[in-house]
Amino acid sequence: MRKPEAMPAARAQPADRSKWVVTLPPTLFLLAFFLAPALIVVAASLRDPGEFGGLAPWPAHSFDAYRFLFGDIIYLEIFARSFFVAALTTLLCIVLAYPLAWLIARSPARRRDLLVLLVILPFASNFLVRIYAWIMLLGPANLLYTPFAVIAGMVYVHLPFMILPLYTNLEKHDPALLEAAQDLGASAWTCFWRITFPLSLPGIFSGAALVFIPVLGMFAVPELLGGTGDILIGNLIKEQFLENRDWPLGSALSIMLTVAVLALAGSAAWAARKGLHGTEAVT
Amino acid sequence: MRRVAWLLLFCLSVARGEDVLHLYNWNNYVSDDTLARFEAQCGCRVRQDYYSDNEEMLAKLEAGAVGYDILVPTGNAVESLIRRNALRDLDKTQLPHLGNVKAEFRQPWFDPANRYSVPYATTVTLIGYNIEKMRALGLPTDTWALIFEPRHLEKIRGKVTVLNSQRELMAVAMKYLGHSVQERDVAKWEEAKRLILRAKPYWATFSNSTYIKDLAIGNIWVAHGYSNDMFRAREDARAARRPFTIGFTTPREGAVLAVDNFVLHKFGQRPDLAHRFIDFMLEGGNAADVSNLIGAGNANAAATPFIRPEIAAETGIFPPPHVLARLEMLRDFEPKMRRALSRMWTEIKVR
Repeated sequence: MRKPEAMPAARAQPADRSKWVVTLPPTLFLLAFFLAPALIVVAASLRDPGEFGGLAPWPAHSFDAYRFLFGDIIYLEIFARSFFVAALTTLLCIVLAYPLAWLIARSPARRRDLLVLLVILPFASNFLVRIYAWIMLLGPANLLYTPFAVIAGMVYVHLPFMILPLYTNLEKHDPALLEAAQDLGASAWTCFWRITFPLSLPGIFSGAALVFIPVLGMFAVPELLGGTGDILIGNLIKEQFLENRDWPLGSALSIMLTVAVLALAGSAAWAARKGLHGTEAVT
Repeated sequence: MRRVAWLLLFCLSVARGEDVLHLYNWNNYVSDDTLARFEAQCGCRVRQDYYSDNEEMLAKLEAGAVGYDILVPTGNAVESLIRRNALRDLDKTQLPHLGNVKAEFRQPWFDPANRYSVPYATTVTLIGYNIEKMRALGLPTDTWALIFEPRHLEKIRGKVTVLNSQRELMAVAMKYLGHSVQERDVAKWEEAKRLILRAKPYWATFSNSTYIKDLAIGNIWVAHGYSNDMFRAREDARAARRPFTIGFTTPREGAVLAVDNFVLHKFGQRPDLAHRFIDFMLEGGNAADVSNLIGAGNANAAATPFIRPEIAAETGIFPPPHVLARLEMLRDFEPKMRRALSRMWTEIKVR
């Protein structure tokens, strides 16, 4: 997603080995704690449910879970709904976070740390406590247990994850660029749209990834704030593992979610790279 | 804080080579006072871990947790543990107070000879309601029609919550339709699904815990939920001096009963202490704890005189015999049936 930085040829040689040393621990970490568990989930999705929960003894396996999920439009509906909620939350987060991040980045340096601290401050209290506070707020307004409440809760919880990467990005912008544009007669809007916004795209992309993906898996917010129709894919997965004790079905749903997210991230990266090459070709 | 304290205690006791009994329990099932008396009596320490639903406990044991002497599973989870060969036989010679168990809770379906389990606490899934509102609207409170029939629901639209639980909600729909909660005929479950879908537009939400607070502050007027939660909602409303009272009644069509039992985990290190503890908890004054603390029903006949009178007299908590006869316990289905019901539940959530 991010624009690859061209590395000067002279520096590439000695950096090569240290690059491996530096990237080895995180690679091992990802192999051990992402790839291995993911493979276990794949294996679980291909097995049969145990009579009393868990998995049936090893040799029994089938594609039943997938056949069950794909044989029914209802599961696709939940996926579509979840992606819609995630997209809407991300969009609202961008709209709300951008002015705030910009304001923080433009305020005097000594006040910036304090403002960033204020953004992080809600994390000091427990996530569930903060959601319960929303129940108190929305209840008297008759907005509790509505789709609005779910979106409000989602945006509230994830807003800092959009503000921080945006702020980090906006803070690095060189004010001289804007001054130069103004000197050349650009309006405030042109300055923003032609300079600030394109430069802030990497910040938006990382913020969007930090918001979109967790929202897809979130089950607590719809469960506590949502009404009778606000079920998301996270709720469905949780239900399979706990109440329904159908681990293969839950695993298959998790795999489908992971694949969908990877496909989306992959195509976004591909589109971004293509877009980048496209503009480069023009200039 | 409490966990840290227990951890410190645990370390201390290990350092001193003391006897420790490990209990994996629901929160607030035994009072601190009772624990202290047991510890003084047996000269040992009791260390408790807590779980908030059976699945959590089963999953932890499935993942290989060892070191617990006593578990307190609900009936269907007892059956599951027995089938997995995870329990140790009780030695009844070490349980002289076993006779205190009420006759109606002996020899349950999940453990016909009480080989493994001693019943302790009971809960009924029923209807809790705002008494004043129901009276003003002239609504009946002793029937599931209150949460399923549009002619009643029209007056309380958006003021009703039902449990966010496929098993519990579909079970009471079956009860209302006059079927058993163990029905094997999928067509009858489809009927329950249609009943739920017809009523759903009138409900505020599916809720497993927030309804306690919602009832107590008046956001919600009717809730399908657990008797001990309704008891708490009533106490909370009273403590906050709300201008209304929370009541709860077991509907006449019958309801779901849950019985929690003491069992010995196979891998427990101290069956001797575990038996002493279970027998201690079978004494009336100690068995009364769970009723006095959280308003749970009690499986112990000797406990009755020790239970606060306003709790002992509450028929929602202690169902009289003719109501008890109409209560059914939930029993696990086999995987194929579970998947079919889960499909219906998903449809209920999405439509």
